Formats: sequence, C-alpha cells, structure tokens
Amino acid sequence: MVHRRGSALLVVPVLVLSLFLVGCPKRPATTAASAPPPTGSPAPSTAAPSTTPTPGPGMTPSPAAPGTATPTTPPRPSEFRETDNLKDVFFDFDKYDIRASDAKVLDTNATWLKTNNDLVLIEGHCDERGTNEYNLALGERRAKATMNYLVGQGVQANRITIISYGKERPVCTEHSEACWTKNRRAHFLVKAR
Amino acid sequence: MNKLMRPGRPLGFLVGLVVLAALGGALFSPPAARSQAADVLLNVLATGAKKLNIVIPHFTVAGGGDPQLGRSLSQVTARDLTFSSLFSVVSDVPPIPAGDPAALKAAFANFAAAGAHAGLQGLLTLRGDRAEIEMRLHDLTSPEFRLIGAKKLELPAAQARRLAHKVADEVVLQFTGEAGVADTKVAYVSQRPGSKELGMMDYDGASPTRVTSNNSINVSPVWSPDTRSLAFTSYMRGYPYLYRMFPFENRPVQVLAGFLGINTSPAFSPDGGSVALTLSRDGNPEVYVLNLTSGAFRRLTTHSGIDTEPTWSPTGREIAFVSERAGGAHIFVMDAEGANVRRLTQAGFNTQPRWSPKGDTIVFTSRQGNFDLWGIAPNGSSLRRLTAGPGNNEGASWAPNGRHLVFQSNRLAGAYQLFTMLSDGSEQQPLTRAPGEATSASWSPRLP
Repeated sequence: MVHRRGSALLVVPVLVLSLFLVGCPKRPATTAASAPPPTGSPAPSTAAPSTTPTPGPGMTPSPAAPGTATPTTPPRPSEFRETDNLKDVFFDFDKYDIRASDAKVLDTNATWLKTNNDLVLIEGHCDERGTNEYNLALGERRAKATMNYLVGQGVQANRITIISYGKERPVCTEHSEACWTKNRRAHFLVKAR
Repeated sequence: MNKLMRPGRPLGFLVGLVVLAALGGALFSPPAARSQAADVLLNVLATGAKKLNIVIPHFTVAGGGDPQLGRSLSQVTARDLTFSSLFSVVSDVPPIPAGDPAALKAAFANFAAAGAHAGLQGLLTLRGDRAEIEMRLHDLTSPEFRLIGAKKLELPAAQARRLAHKVADEVVLQFTGEAGVADTKVAYVSQRPGSKELGMMDYDGASPTRVTSNNSINVSPVWSPDTRSLAFTSYMRGYPYLYRMFPFENRPVQVLAGFLGINTSPAFSPDGGSVALTLSRDGNPEVYVLNLTSGAFRRLTTHSGIDTEPTWSPTGREIAFVSERAGGAHIFVMDAEGANVRRLTQAGFNTQPRWSPKGDTIVFTSRQGNFDLWGIAPNGSSLRRLTAGPGNNEGASWAPNGRHLVFQSNRLAGAYQLFTMLSDGSEQQPLTRAPGEATSASWSPRLP
C-alpha cells in the first residue's frame, strides 16, 4: 500500500526557457532553446556539460554610463602584460579609499601613463578573509577607486578597464596580517593599442 | 493499547513535538483536532527517549541477487536516519525473509522488547538495469507489529544508492509529515593550486563528481529550485560573468549576465523564475533581479557603497542582502521590489545571509575576531550564535528541511573543508576530506 504523503512531492515545473529569444538586442541568439521535459530523475552525473557558453539574457555589455567612455568590449585580461612602470597600491581591511601615501604612487603611475597611449587593466584584490562574494564587490570598489583617481589626474577613462578578482588571486598565501596587507591591492597591467 | 503510529496520518507532528521537547525543552499544546496524538507523545517521552528507536535489518535481496548489496544499502539508509537526528538506529542485523510474517515477528521481537519503536524491512529486486526497493515499516509497539507504511521505489540500478536515500526520506516522511533530505546533492568549490572548479556530491559526501573543468576560477554555485541547474560566477572568459549550467544534462553552459564589472552572487527565487544577483554595471555593486523568462534586469538597491549577497525569503516576497550603507558590512532586508529596507544586524562584520527554507531564521557569517555562524529571525529578534570556533566557520547553506546546515570550516589543519550541523549549531561533523580545499557549499533541494 502507498500512504498519502504528508508533504508536497517535489514537483518539477516545466520550464520553458525563452532566455535566448528576448532580452538580447545586440547579439541575437543563434540557438533557440527550450528545456526538455523533466526526466523524473536526474541521470547519474556523467553527462559532460559543454564548456562553450551560449549567449544568455545578459550577454550584451551594458552601455557605458554617461561620462565614462569605457570600451564596451574590453580585451581579455590575458592580453595585458606586466609592467615595472606601474606600481601597486594597497588598502586597509575592508576599505577602498586611496591612502595618502598611495596617492603619490598613483601620481607617478598617472605621469607615466600620460607619456604613452597603452590600455590599462586595473585588478582589484582582497585578502583571504570573508566571503568570495563580498570580496568580489570589494575588489571591484578598489579597482574603481584607483581608476577614478587616475582619471582625476588626467588619464583618459576609455584607456582603463577594471577587473575584480576578490580574494581569488592572492600574491601571498600565508594566513597572516603580513600576507593580507600585500594582498589588499590594486595591480596594473598594460596592453599596446 | 500502544498506538505509536497510525497509517495515513502524519505522525510527524508527534515526532516534531518530541524533537522540540528535546531541543528546546518547550512543549506546544496539541491542536484539539489531533488530541489523540498526545498518547503517543507521552508514550515516547515516558520511555525517556529523545529519538525514535528503529531497527533496520539488511535489506532482503530477491531472486538470488547479491546479498552484499542489500546489506550496504541498508547501511546507507541507517546512516541517513542517524544523520536526521530523529532516530536512534540499530542496524547490521540479518535480513528478514520476504513474505514470512512469522520470521518477521521473530526477528523484531527481541528489539521490540529492548525498546525499539519501529522496524524497517527492505525488499530489493534487480530487474535488468532497474533496481526496486519495497520498504515496509512496522510499529514494534503494537502487538502484531502492525504495518504502518509501505512503498515501492524504483530507479536505474546504477543509482541504487539513491534508492537507499529515498527509503530513508520516506521513513522520515512517515514520522514527521515532511520527507527527509538524504536524496539531495551538495555543490561546492574544489580548490586546487591554480584553479577553483565546481564539484558536487551526495549530501553525505559520497560520489564526488567534477562539474566544471575549465582551469579557471569558478565560485558561488547555487542550485535552482528544480535541482536541474547551477548558477555560478566564472572567469572562464576572463571576466567574472554569471553562468548557468545543467550538471545532469548534456546542455551548453548559458551566460546569465556578462556586463562590464562584476556579475556575482546568484540566488534563485523560490519559484525558479528569477535570479537575484550583484552587478556593478551602473558604477558600483548593486543588487538586481534577472527575470529568466524575459531576460530583463531590475535594479533593487541604490547606494554608493557595496550591496551584494542577496538571499530570498521562501515566500519570494523579501530579500536579505549585505550592505555597507551603515558602515561596515551588515545584513539588511528589503521587499522583492527593493523598498522597505530595514537593518537586521548591529555589531560585527556580517556577510553571507542565507534565508531558511522555513522562513524563520536567517543564518549569516559574523566576524568578531574569527568568523562564525549566527542566526537571527527576519524581524531582527532571536540573535544567536551557532558556532564558536574552532577556526573560522563560514558560508552556511540550508538543507531543504531547514533543520540541517552545511558550512565551511578551517578548524582541521587550517584547510577549509565542509561540515554539517543542525540549525541550532549542535551535532557539528565533518562532511568532506577533499584534496586541496572544499568551500562555498550549496545544498540542493530534494531531487525529483
């Protein structure tokens, strides 16, 4: 006999995904996809998902905000290279304001940048403490604050791309304040146009 | 006469009372309509039991199948029921022959005399590539060891272990009115030198499987409510975009959000139709909601500081999130349209809010020296500490029953691994001993 169940069965809603049909004005979908009907039980986890992403609803980069002529399709981070001409700046725990001593470093960086026409990638980094998600936001703010300072010193905003790595790419991996201090940084890479 | 269990009516209510009594020392008055139930409750309490005692003999394998399979599956079920914390389990008992009431009575009699409340018989049949278990649950407090629940469950033979989980979930359902959480998965981030890949495993740590293999950084996996997909942030294309993938299906990865800046911290709405997330496309990290049907993004927060880590209430009407608008990082709640923002936490550095599927608690990570897990009611009351070291304890994710949590801790040898505990912080135990580190757990809803 089968007893009446006291709680809801897990009902799998039939998701008709119109993800690819709308919301993607500049890069229309090449594949219209709808979810197959639920199979009732998931297959054993052997299906190797493709690693090639397909366009989704948010694939179109947002238009640049007024006043910031950010390139809409920045080069991949791997296209930028290290340079000795741009020095890192560092931040206090959970802070993203530019410290006075670091402002001098950024002044020097800005002076060098104005001698050439290279593109710049500013990486924002955090120490290992706290969540991935919060640190991704914090790293973004650090990169942005650094960018804003350089723009204030006359570097064209449309030369600059920022990326947050949060706590994901530490330069120092010991669990100590000495190490954390080194990791809370903005780092610079360049790419010739 | 002892009436421990009655068919058809959820006895869960009773066990719920027992558990509440055990955990909180508080007893509710049973509703009048169910006043008969009090007999059972009093009966169980009178024995001094905090848990129901259940005996689980090795499952009986029909048709000359390998008895070892019946034995190992019964032990999976036994571990599941022990983990549930609702049962005290006796297992490693010889199987009971099928269709032999006398043998069954003889097998259970000594356990009944020793205080067992229930006995579970499992009858396993393999047919080609299908495996079937008939579970039969007996009330050992009744004179005839009355059958109080029976059900047949079937899956591909390759997923036989899931059958054992499903049996456990069915037993929990019979006693509590809500299925157990054994037939679930935990997705997580597996950190090796140079990369962070997504993995998933059974809720008990068995069958770990790689979900991504892109040699990049992949973080923040979260399950969709239908358990078919995971949303996550990945650097596979260089910048932190938000993706969705289908770990059980051969389908391409989708890009959910690929704006300039960060595309992070996904959280599916309870109906699965939307994803709350963090974008910095408008200048700084703000919380948005992506409608998965229309593709439209709706901005919920407007503040010059960081707003991130949204988590939905189970009704979908409210969203808790992290904001530094009050200085430092604190937990706030707003309605799903972004209005009526109220502050929940007052002290410390507070992140990673996760709203209980039951709605009554928001668990979060607080830094006061080390990181530890705390709980708070959505109205700001009932602030309580759930962990107190050792090491850091962070990143909780709720089981679908709202009773268990998985979290990460570096308490052992400094490397982060996953642990589980009950929602009051008790019964903390290790879940993973993975190479490298295991972090960022997401406990799936029940599998279909």
